[in-house]
Amino acid sequence: MAAGMATVAAAVGGVPSTLLGEERRLAKFPEKTDLIRLTSRPPQLETPLHYFKELITPNEAVFVRWHISNIPTSVDLNQWRLKVKGNTERELNLSLDDLKKFEKVTYTAVMQCSGNGRRYFEPRVFGGQWGNGAMANCTWGGVRLKDILNKAGIKPGSVDVSFDALDGPPLPSVPDFVKSLPIDKAIEEDIIVAYEMNGTPPPMLNGFPARLIVPGWYATYWVKSLTEINVLTKPFEGFFMKTAYRIPDTPCGCVPPGTAPKSTIPINRMTARSLIIEPAKGASIKVNQPAEIKGIAFSGGYSIKEVIVSTDSGKTWREAKLGRDLGRYSWIQFSYPWRPAKPGKYTLMAKATNSIGESQPFEGLWNPSGYLWNMVQKNEVAVR
Amino acid sequence: MKKSIIFFVLATVATVCFAYAQTVVTTGTTKTITLPPEKVDLKPGQGMDKAATYCVICHSAEYITMQPKGTKAQWTGSVNKMIKVYGAPISEDDAKVIAGYLAANYGTGQ
Repeated sequence: MAAGMATVAAAVGGVPSTLLGEERRLAKFPEKTDLIRLTSRPPQLETPLHYFKELITPNEAVFVRWHISNIPTSVDLNQWRLKVKGNTERELNLSLDDLKKFEKVTYTAVMQCSGNGRRYFEPRVFGGQWGNGAMANCTWGGVRLKDILNKAGIKPGSVDVSFDALDGPPLPSVPDFVKSLPIDKAIEEDIIVAYEMNGTPPPMLNGFPARLIVPGWYATYWVKSLTEINVLTKPFEGFFMKTAYRIPDTPCGCVPPGTAPKSTIPINRMTARSLIIEPAKGASIKVNQPAEIKGIAFSGGYSIKEVIVSTDSGKTWREAKLGRDLGRYSWIQFSYPWRPAKPGKYTLMAKATNSIGESQPFEGLWNPSGYLWNMVQKNEVAVR
Repeated sequence: MKKSIIFFVLATVATVCFAYAQTVVTTGTTKTITLPPEKVDLKPGQGMDKAATYCVICHSAEYITMQPKGTKAQWTGSVNKMIKVYGAPISEDDAKVIAGYLAANYGTGQ
């Protein structure tokens, strides 16, 4: 019986498709379209780049990343509660309906894994071997964290706020996935507990029924399937803050390749980056025909002011046209009309700069965990 | 008699197929998903049995197979991290066997 099940599953489930020569195959998970399967348990699924042709990433195509293997697969909304406790005037136990009674906030924000682009690090580093598909641009709807905390009443002496969720460790010795924010960050206007992702409840694998949204910051803080908010009078010292998800304490968050940082800090705001989606790497283009260069650009909470594009390996640059502005947390689409006049190999590049002058390096900045990847990308294409 | 056995087999296969297709089910206020089965495909080699036994207690085997080629020191470090940081119940001897297996089959040869 079990063997029969596995065979049926194999026939329906994993669609073998070697994408980069390594272990990158498409797989179908619940509420998801075919995504690149990095791992099955816990699931880590990457979005194929063609989905980034759209301004908004559809829920079924949004990447998936869990840390510890006992992930929620069943949620009863009659039972699910968001508990608010710790250094507060009162303890709250909020149902989903209770959350919906708060003022609703909606905005579009890029969700990006800290390790997006890790596979491009040189020297290579261990960890989830993401290409560029561990990101998504979604419209999030929910309630301000600040409003929830104020309803509970933050008492003086509060330092950090920690966030726990439905997922749990497979062994008691494995640290639970709990994240924290400094209290001053936690009460910022734009941080929300979202119960809507592109207008519908988030898929189970993206944090049903509600998740934290920390726009501008890497998605490690966007705790999925949230169950507990704890206001603390001492700095939070859990594994996923104190040991994991840390970057070198240097202005670039980087160190010389292959070396260890002297000191580290928790990862936080996203670096500025851009990505050419069309023409894709290795594309074949017809000479003397229009071949628009299109892509996306975003940064950690500051509007993209400019994207420049090069079609000659970076010798000359032209300004790209920016698309509709959905706010400083969203990505923006860029386009540049190109009509290659001669056959040959071309290297296409794009470089984004945000409103405070943050931009992208031409050489990859290195750190031992493979975070903050934002090197100017090179798409080599052939014109025939 | 024979017909009923065939019917039973067909009905079972149909049920299994249907159950697999229904990866998301909402009953009343409860939403449930069914994850696809994982595939374990470690390269054959000395120590594979121990890697296949211990490593997959907490995670699927792709956590090994997706990594870039590592040095012996990197794989030893990785196994030690699983023991010291995550409390993997692996003896010192088995840890050496597993690190050796990983370096031999997923390594740089250094």
